[in-house]
Amino acid sequence: MTSRDRAFRGATAVVGIANTPFHKRGTATQSSAQLTLEAILAAAADAGIDAHDIDGFVSYANDDNEGLAIGAALGAKEIRWSTMVWGGGGGGVAAAVNAASAAVASGQADMVCVYRGISEADAGRQSYSKGHMGPLLSGHGVFAPAQICALRTQRMLEVDGVPASAMKALVQAAYHHAQNNPDAVAYGRPLDPAVYDDARWISEPLRLYDCSRENDAAGAVLVTTAERARELRQKPAYVLSGVQGAGPDWSESVENDLAYTSAGFHPAMVARLWEGAGVKPGEVDVVQVYENFSGPAVASLIDFGFVPKGPDAGRVMQFENLIAPHGSLPVNTAGGNIAEGFVHGFGLIVEAVRQIRGTSPNQVPDAALSLLLGGPMAPSVGATLFGSDAVL
Amino acid sequence: MTAKEFPGVPADLAEVVERHGHAVAAGDNATVLADFRPDRVGQLLASARPPEGMHSAELLDVEPGPDGLFSAFIRYTGTGGEAVFRSRWIQLDGTWLVTQVRNVPDTPPRTSMAHPSDDGLDAPHWEGLRRGELRMQHCPRCDRWTWSPRPICPGCHATDLEWPVVDPVGRIYSWTRTWQPFSPEVTGHLPYVVVVVELPGAGNRRILGVLLDGDGADVRIGAEVKGEIEPAADPEGYPLLRWRLV
Ligand SMILES: [Zn+2]
Repeated sequence: MTSRDRAFRGATAVVGIANTPFHKRGTATQSSAQLTLEAILAAAADAGIDAHDIDGFVSYANDDNEGLAIGAALGAKEIRWSTMVWGGGGGGVAAAVNAASAAVASGQADMVCVYRGISEADAGRQSYSKGHMGPLLSGHGVFAPAQICALRTQRMLEVDGVPASAMKALVQAAYHHAQNNPDAVAYGRPLDPAVYDDARWISEPLRLYDCSRENDAAGAVLVTTAERARELRQKPAYVLSGVQGAGPDWSESVENDLAYTSAGFHPAMVARLWEGAGVKPGEVDVVQVYENFSGPAVASLIDFGFVPKGPDAGRVMQFENLIAPHGSLPVNTAGGNIAEGFVHGFGLIVEAVRQIRGTSPNQVPDAALSLLLGGPMAPSVGATLFGSDAVL
Repeated sequence: MTAKEFPGVPADLAEVVERHGHAVAAGDNATVLADFRPDRVGQLLASARPPEGMHSAELLDVEPGPDGLFSAFIRYTGTGGEAVFRSRWIQLDGTWLVTQVRNVPDTPPRTSMAHPSDDGLDAPHWEGLRRGELRMQHCPRCDRWTWSPRPICPGCHATDLEWPVVDPVGRIYSWTRTWQPFSPEVTGHLPYVVVVVELPGAGNRRILGVLLDGDGADVRIGAEVKGEIEPAADPEGYPLLRWRLV
């Protein structure tokens, strides 16, 4: 039985979305719980529902705030679903949406909130890598995801032959899109290509602008049944298909992952996403691709077949192709982690939904299929494909 | 002040470098920071480690290169010993600025994380290093090498796994040269190169470590490397497996 037969497709929809402002790291006066509640209340207002009616909570990336505590703070009438997606970092961003949809589609809960909040005041620095850098890495001076992603990106460039220009094009597109997004951290700060080229090394082959940087902020989205979604005030962004997890010989293996230069979206996972949605890659209108770092984002687009492997990747990964409204593969249309703001990719969920609603700062005309890719080169990865009622 | 002369080095740079060394030794932070490239002050400040109680500086050499930069070597002396910094200078808008700095000679970082993991799964590896051996997890039943170590064999689910000695010889599978001070423990060792090494002696499993003298090295994937076990800093600590280009 395929996942499509199991009626996941179109059974649920995102009906409320919100980000708090993206505060510079370490500057928010609120705790991560306060930021999270601010985002959830804003998402409820966006959906036009009473936040007391939220009956499920899902988060990821080892969020500091348990669903039950958030539900209690909201005075939830009943909590029916509470899930943390395992796997550190942004690998869980799409998986969290999928988990919420699974809960709603199966009748375990009716209005599930996906949330994530970071405040350096209580989470500390580098909340993304906690618990994932054991002695076989950190004993050798490898402390940060940037170094892991640098190792994998280096082989993608040196052995696979993907040109470094592919990474630059992705970053330039993100900064370009951020110029139309007043909420983006890079709004009003366009990136001069020469500044990108000349920026300091973080860990070769990644320079400063190839890297995302954490913000103090939170995001929340609300998932409910397709039926209920049609009664609410916003245009529903239906969940057509979702996949998550790790392929063979992938995950927590200290650089022994089998498909080393892949982002982790193995062929069976990719096929399941398309099959579940009844969609072909060429039909997707717009992609939000998680860029912890530019290299893994390029690898994600290769894994999904949007971009050819090897040197040919440079043909598609060109600035003109990657920008809305008329590029052939518009990506990260609000600026992404790199230029909009970093809360483990939460802004990418919100933007994927805005594209379906028609409210993106860089709207792709009549976008009906909007793809979210989370967590590249992390122990767990995932994807969610959203669609408008036009594709149901 | 009469600046020393160095072949192939602009006289004004030699003067700037001499003054810079004295400013560093004197703790004249305003002058020092003004000498740093403004977009990388934080990284530069945390890259090199000065001696304790630093009080004087001696300019040893300035030479052209590499990549159009100029390299200056300054010895700083303090109550706790001495350290030589190699700063690299670039001219931007007519001003000489430091764009890289490191301690020389190039020594690998040693971190407080060099010990068995909390779950103890990798303890035989670390104990092996104490006896001068590289040991990795292997399943005698299905002949599978597993790395990183697991509680059971993922191939056949055997629980009685062994830790044979592996010849520390292999090829670079990938590498990165890290410039960012992700931990205060690496200050004084930046930049350093970490390699992932594919080991034919362990079913082509890969192990990770620092490449010795990696700073200026022409590192390539596929290059042959040989492991060396660096003794622990103290009896309580553990040795580390380092790599060297063959
Ligand atoms: Zn076995």
